[in-house]
Amino acid sequence: MAEDVLVVDSLVRRFGDLTAVDGVSFRIAPGETYGLLGPNGAGKTTTISMIAGLIAADAGSVTVAGEAMTPRTTEPKRHLGLVPQELAIYPDLTGRENLMLFGRLQGLTGAGLKQRVGHVLELIGLADRAKDRSKEYSGGMKRRLNIGIGLLNRPTLLILDEPTVGVDPQSRNAILESVEALSVEGMAVLYTTHYMEEAERLCDRIGIIDSGRLQATGTRDELIRLTGGVDTIRLGGSGDLVGAAEELRQIPGVERVDAERRSATLTVKDAPALVAQVVGTAAARGVTLSDVEISRPDLESVFLHLTGKGLRD
Amino acid sequence: MRNALAVAGVELRLFLRDRANLFFVFVFPLMLVMMIGLQFGEGANAGRVAVSGTDSSLQSALVEQLESDDVVVSDPAWDDALELVARGRLDVAIRLDAASATAYDAGRGVTLEVVSGTSGNSRVVEQQVRTAVDALRAGSARLAALEAQGVPADRVVAALVTAEQDASAPVLEVTSVDRLSQEFAGLGQFDLGASGQLLLFVFLSCLAGAATLIQARRLGVVARMLAGPMTAGELVAGQIIGRWAIGLFQGGYIMLASSLLFGVGWGSLPLALLVLVIFSLVAAGAAILLGTMLENEGAANGAGVGLGLVLAALGGSMLPLELFPGPIRAVANLTPHAWAYEAFAEIQRRGGTLVDVLPQLGVLAAMALLLASLGAWSLRRSLARAV
Repeated sequence: MAEDVLVVDSLVRRFGDLTAVDGVSFRIAPGETYGLLGPNGAGKTTTISMIAGLIAADAGSVTVAGEAMTPRTTEPKRHLGLVPQELAIYPDLTGRENLMLFGRLQGLTGAGLKQRVGHVLELIGLADRAKDRSKEYSGGMKRRLNIGIGLLNRPTLLILDEPTVGVDPQSRNAILESVEALSVEGMAVLYTTHYMEEAERLCDRIGIIDSGRLQATGTRDELIRLTGGVDTIRLGGSGDLVGAAEELRQIPGVERVDAERRSATLTVKDAPALVAQVVGTAAARGVTLSDVEISRPDLESVFLHLTGKGLRD
Repeated sequence: MRNALAVAGVELRLFLRDRANLFFVFVFPLMLVMMIGLQFGEGANAGRVAVSGTDSSLQSALVEQLESDDVVVSDPAWDDALELVARGRLDVAIRLDAASATAYDAGRGVTLEVVSGTSGNSRVVEQQVRTAVDALRAGSARLAALEAQGVPADRVVAALVTAEQDASAPVLEVTSVDRLSQEFAGLGQFDLGASGQLLLFVFLSCLAGAATLIQARRLGVVARMLAGPMTAGELVAGQIIGRWAIGLFQGGYIMLASSLLFGVGWGSLPLALLVLVIFSLVAAGAAILLGTMLENEGAANGAGVGLGLVLAALGGSMLPLELFPGPIRAVANLTPHAWAYEAFAEIQRRGGTLVDVLPQLGVLAAMALLLASLGAWSLRRSLARAV
């Protein structure tokens, strides 16, 4: 079995009285995309800063490709590609010049550097704008350049810190497709986001972080099972919904019914399998339904279940 | 070191790429060198005389006589000449009409119309005009006397030239009692202005680099660099070398361009370059310190220009140190500009050697070491904030 690319063990970081990261541990295997999902201020960027060797941990350790990472070490950083949340590029340099500079700082030289820069420019779709100053790029193009710099050294581990913040939907989709392609190529990716949909789409495993603590980690399905795996059916219409509630509660698989005059919410085990019976039962009680809505648990529900608050709270 | 040089190269490139810098780096310093040279340099007080009228032997003779006395002569139309005198752009205007020219050629008496300005210098130049006219009159009289004695006309001029060469005339060597005049004796018209502007602009250009450091920290570029295989020491070195290179470029440009355009003499070139190298390092250290103490590019630009101008003014870049009263001269010694000014003065004016400028270089090197160390320490602290 291949060695884990990243091992984060009991990481702690305090800023004065505030414990920004509190005992975070997780691992990422080669080719795996791991998501850190949490609201703003949850401790994602601080965790990443310690993983990238930008700040020291007060306790715990980070190992990248088998080498211990600290702010004073440089060797493990050769395995790392960091794409920070902000656009960390020189606006007065062209796209190519930005890539050449950071390529040099990664140790690339001569023809190898030029070749790699050309390849990355193609990869991020900026080859025809390579000679333009990056301040003339659109927001999406700048984001792509920001990501391209992180790819220059063919990293074993690519860290993407909320790469889609402030990006239009079209560019956002392009970025997500690029990340999917990278994981297909076998690159390990650590992806932080507070967008549930991105974590669900991209990540093989997800760690849910809040208030500096990793609340849970696992695949999407594993996390959803933490909520008990219950679905919701919402009914809307006219008629005796309150009266129908008692009969609806008798249906096997229905765990709870909350009914009002014009609507009812059912908590059930498997909504798609039960919805026909639920609708039939309501109709038999003379209820005329105008609206039926099924919702299944997602990562938002998981976050709510684990922390008692929403992702965007 | 390779990483440090890569960072330094970017800093120099960003400096040269900023269009706003183009005027202030390439044009403005030379404009100031020229203006200061014209205003205060050697020859700045030369008389300016207009000789208006048709071409004639009288005009040629008068112009030749005036120019031999270092008077600058022009030939505008009479009305224009009057206006230039009235505006103080000329000291004296002389009108030569056709009748005067004919009378002069015929050996008759001539009366010239002269209009003089109101400045003190106009009085002096008016006297120079009188002397020139007297010289012409004496020459004409000698010519007439020789011809009256039967010397053939074609031999008269040759005889006068020979007589002038054989005559033993006293040569004046004037020594001013004014120590200031002695101090600046031998300096070219633009020499003093060039060294002063070099110090002013090297420091200003380096301090302008404080803003790019703040920008790099704000944009997260600094943090990104440190996430790669680059040590904090390499980053600090790169930032200092980058601003040092900016100072060297600015200073080297002013030295080269002022030599080529204005014939400025820099004395011993290796010594002058050594002063530039150490002074630029002082400025680079100051720029790093400024760039780490402030968090806003606009504030850094404002503070940089203010600091650069005040230090330059105190350090003799705008007004020669020799004109400062004693207490202010003592304060001036707190600025690197004053020490570099003294070093250039030694090299440019007195042909100083390395031994002669060692005290100035020593103080500058100490300032460079102090500021670069403080800048490096402050930058390391700010890097922690930047990530």
